[in-house]
Amino acid sequence: MTTVFDTYIPGRSLLHRLDPRAKIWAMLLCLALTFLLPGLTAQALVLMVVHILLLRSGIPGAVLGRLWRQLAVLLLLVLILQPFFTPSGRLLVALGPLRLTVGGIAHAAALVLRAANLAFITCTLLFTTSQPALVQGLMRLGLPYTWGLTVSLALRFLPAIGDLFNKVRDAQAARGWVAEGNLIKRFRETIPILVAVLIGTLRMTDQLTLALAARGIESTRPRSTWRELRMTGQDWWFVVGVTVGVAALVVAIALSPSVIPNG
Amino acid sequence: MINLDRLSFAYPPTHAGASPTSVLRDCSLRLGEGDSLAVMGASGAGKSTLCHVLAGLAPRHTGGTAEGVVTLGGHNVLASPPDVDAVGLLFQDAATQLFTTSVEDEVAWGLEALGVDPLEITRRVDAALAGFDLTGVRTRAPWALSGGQQKRLALAALWAMRPSVLVLDEPLGGLDPQGKREVLAAVEALRQAGTTLVTTTMQIATARRAGQVALLAEGRLSHPQAPAAAFDTAGPLSVARLTGIGVIAPTALWPDLKPTIAPDGARPAIEVTGLQYGYPGDEVVLRGIDLAIATGQFLAIVGPNGAGKSTLVRHFNGLLRPQSGRVRVQGELIGDRPTGALAREVGFLFQRPEQQLFAPSVREEIEFGLTRLGLPDRSERLDRAVARFDLGEVAGAPPATLSYGDQRAVTLACLAAMGPPTIILDEPTVGLDGRGLSQLLAWLAELRAVGTTIIAVTHHMDLAARADRVVALDRGRIVADGAPSEVLSHDTPPRGTP
Repeated sequence: MTTVFDTYIPGRSLLHRLDPRAKIWAMLLCLALTFLLPGLTAQALVLMVVHILLLRSGIPGAVLGRLWRQLAVLLLLVLILQPFFTPSGRLLVALGPLRLTVGGIAHAAALVLRAANLAFITCTLLFTTSQPALVQGLMRLGLPYTWGLTVSLALRFLPAIGDLFNKVRDAQAARGWVAEGNLIKRFRETIPILVAVLIGTLRMTDQLTLALAARGIESTRPRSTWRELRMTGQDWWFVVGVTVGVAALVVAIALSPSVIPNG
Repeated sequence: MINLDRLSFAYPPTHAGASPTSVLRDCSLRLGEGDSLAVMGASGAGKSTLCHVLAGLAPRHTGGTAEGVVTLGGHNVLASPPDVDAVGLLFQDAATQLFTTSVEDEVAWGLEALGVDPLEITRRVDAALAGFDLTGVRTRAPWALSGGQQKRLALAALWAMRPSVLVLDEPLGGLDPQGKREVLAAVEALRQAGTTLVTTTMQIATARRAGQVALLAEGRLSHPQAPAAAFDTAGPLSVARLTGIGVIAPTALWPDLKPTIAPDGARPAIEVTGLQYGYPGDEVVLRGIDLAIATGQFLAIVGPNGAGKSTLVRHFNGLLRPQSGRVRVQGELIGDRPTGALAREVGFLFQRPEQQLFAPSVREEIEFGLTRLGLPDRSERLDRAVARFDLGEVAGAPPATLSYGDQRAVTLACLAAMGPPTIILDEPTVGLDGRGLSQLLAWLAELRAVGTTIIAVTHHMDLAARADRVVALDRGRIVADGAPSEVLSHDTPPRGTP
């Protein structure tokens, strides 16, 4: 079964053991930092640090490679198109109104690295945090239980619907279904599959209603929480360390606005 | 413990103008604490409805109307929902009742809903996982488990809530032999622990394990009796009676599936050489398969879960493409011909018919493949298929609203109407009652008479025994290949599921 949305990779590293709230906080700070960081070199540096951190935490290189492949198209588009929107510096080629410049290319490259950083920093949280822990972390940060449950059920059932789509497509291909022709024709050809997936999804929803009822979703007793999250000394040190580190970097950037040119 | 008094149940009409579908009529039953009852009945007899009513889910969450009295430990179930620690229901499709992201969280969820103290939850989760032999997979995702493990997990999650009554809807349905053994052991342990059990089943062997047996037919529940009396030749559940109402199809009555046209080994219908395949990011599933299937042959492919059986046959109509090796259909390399184009030569019967049906009516469902392939004599083919599978009465109804047995018949009709020279069947007998099984076997006999090549992936050893040839797969390799008597005789114990 496809588990596209189940990104958790079990492990016992420091990152795995940290409280999800500490990790969510660190993630938000680091995301903010990548927006503030000027220039190519700084972005590349952050990306390198994140990669080392992930590999040291036991995330296989193959998983990182897969994430890169998933990002490839988007990043490539930015790299190719962006230079023409932000021309600056020495002119390399001019094609009518399109001007390819050194500054434009540098800007695009920095943007690509920033996008990659956003993805990898977010995935650092997802790779090292199980879904129940993530949902509970979000809840403890103030999200109501039903929201947490909804997030959790979505994470559980999106892959199931994707899986159903594949099954239905296979079954219809075996009855002579072929997608061909232009985009509109292809879309129309896909309708029978979408109908079957819709029927299947509705059936899944019915079953889920029964499953939740059978397991006591309507119980009037107050819910208890099995794995109560507890911030340990380690978590607090981590939060303080990351906060101070990021703050120091921000101050450094503010004090020397032209450390790294071509931002 | 359980008291049913003149329970009647009807589902609302499926479409405007139709009348409500009556499923249960005046059913009465009395079960004491620690009793175990098996309810036998054909597909569509109302077994699942009875289970849902007992668990307090129907009509509350399913629609429909119930009359009569249903009490569980004195609690009127029809008036207000029973406590989840009063009754637990194992769904027929247990996978659909698992909704969290790890095995241990699945067990803990219901306890959290009951407000159980966290320390007590840990104790009960550990005990449940140990009791149902799931400790080794406690951090795995429920959907990544085998069928047997999923059923055991659903049972563990129910048992952790300490229900006094457990209702098991076809607990062994859809499982491979290994899964059946696992679940049977778990149910047996529950019975010995004194849980009141209600089990539905279509297998006499399963029903015999219960203290009492009853038959559900035409909406009526027979008076429960001890198995010995119930299954006696003069009893209400005699083999003749169960066969007559389509619950079972004893192998003695199966049609002959011998070929009437000798298979032609010189012209293989399907031929694969050096076939290797692995799913992306996963270990290798097929490790070099060489296999030639003669035209007109009936080949059964057997082997434990995860042996690569389904992966192999999915190459025969191009649903999967080999990573190395070649696939020939009627002597021609399939190359990049799409599956939809190969459908003319190779038909495929998938599991889970309910997931494939989408058309607004049964006729249009059958027509889909005929139109797609641009076959001649479409209306004759359609009429013949509708008549052949007794679908005349439901021909205008949406297939999604039919019973499992009828949905299976529709998928067979779709395939029969297209009439490809080679047909692949993936676990064709799963979930079929006696009537459905007889229908499938009669159709297979007809296919043999016209020389269709049949390839069946199956755990049903009685079916495999009727093939011309059996190929046994294990860990991606062919480990035995020959006549059924040679391959099936030495009873190789199946490898444990990983």
